Amino acid sequence: MIYLNNAATSYPKPVCVAESVQACLCDVPASQFRGGAQIQENTREEQCRNNLGKLLGVSDTSRIFFTSGATEALNTILGGLDMEGEILVTQTEHNSVLRPILNLNTAKRLQMQVVPCRADGEVTLEALEAAVTPKTKVLVVNHCSNVTGKVQDMDRIGKFARDHELFFLADVSQSAGCLSVRGEEWGADALAFTGHKGLLGMQGTGGFYIRPGFKLLPLKYGGTGTNSAQLTYEAGDYEYETGTRNLPGIASLCAGTDFILKKGLSEIMDTERRLMKLLYEGLSLISGVCVYGSYESCKGPVLSMNFRDLNPSDASYILWSSYGIILRSGLHCSPLIHKAMGTREKGTIRVSVSCFTTEEEIQEFLKAVGEIAASVQGRA
Amino acid sequence: MKIIGKVQSREKCAESGWFAYDYLLDGKMDREFILSLKPLGGFVYLDMLKQPFFKIENHYYILKGIQGNDYFRAAVHGGHQELLIRIEEYVAGC
Repeated sequence: MIYLNNAATSYPKPVCVAESVQACLCDVPASQFRGGAQIQENTREEQCRNNLGKLLGVSDTSRIFFTSGATEALNTILGGLDMEGEILVTQTEHNSVLRPILNLNTAKRLQMQVVPCRADGEVTLEALEAAVTPKTKVLVVNHCSNVTGKVQDMDRIGKFARDHELFFLADVSQSAGCLSVRGEEWGADALAFTGHKGLLGMQGTGGFYIRPGFKLLPLKYGGTGTNSAQLTYEAGDYEYETGTRNLPGIASLCAGTDFILKKGLSEIMDTERRLMKLLYEGLSLISGVCVYGSYESCKGPVLSMNFRDLNPSDASYILWSSYGIILRSGLHCSPLIHKAMGTREKGTIRVSVSCFTTEEEIQEFLKAVGEIAASVQGRA
Repeated sequence: MKIIGKVQSREKCAESGWFAYDYLLDGKMDREFILSLKPLGGFVYLDMLKQPFFKIENHYYILKGIQGNDYFRAAVHGGHQELLIRIEEYVAGC
């Protein structure tokens, strides 16, 4: 089996991730504020927040909150914005941004405007300037497209947001742990991340960062242990982590981020860039295959491709059933970008690597693509 | 061919708006079996592949599989799940 679906969920995980979950489950559950065991559990949570602070480029790690993933994080942020006007989103956004804006009652107070992107997913300053109006209050930008791997220029976009006094939310789900994320330097007011992709944690983990002083209307209410007698939040002293926390998940995220920091983000980036170069170069030599974007313009560990004469859904089925290669086909939950790419009807085949992917696996994949392309060429 | 198992596809996003199921058969699908499915709809058979691939398309469902495997996938549009029974009966008679 060859796994090239890391943009969905990274696999394999470092051994330390599984070990950390087992160790957490074997520990006495930490009963917050009630026993001595809490000391260890808090250490794990705080260590995880510290790791995330380094990987997300934020210094106040007390403003990092755990959720069940990027979807819950984005629902919390977008549904918690107590403002009215227009919200700019880029054409590259994932449904976990688009659907909360269009369906959450609180978020519906913000009229969504889509900033178009180029065919490779690039969002230009000119497009942003053309879309912003005096009513615009919020800007949401996907740092790295989960379809093309295009990485946006967040320094320039952050400056644009500051110049226009916009609340700037960066979705770093696809980039955290794979690329340099510098939330504070970008001037991001909020970041949303997931734990099960580049951060190498398990599914059901993730979170968000919100800049100090900014209050979101909470998505959820419940037990927190801070003041059990308090039933309402009249002073806006909201809390964002309610209920019993997913400590095994946080332990996995802590171990995953530990692994990244010890290995070094730059080494991971170098490995993944080398693999992507092999992919781009190899695919460019295969007749009957179309790749969206290029090695030079798309720097994330993911690319989209299609066979000229084969439906992407059929191609991914063949790759799995005949060659044991796992990847993803379709719209990848990012429907809008496909209009720019010209792939709205059928979508694409998405290939995504991790630091555990080997060059031999890439060569096997290229060989399979070559065989299929040669077989079906001219069929359509 | 006898159907001995049926599971909902784990790739829920893959067939957007459709419900996909993987069927397990009591034997491997050969060319003759695949060709016998032709009456179910528009038929595509890529026998030039290392392992031939087939697909059958109708307005409301898609079947696809690989020759030599003992399973195939059926995706049916949300409003027409009753068609699966017809497909299952047809396959059982092949």
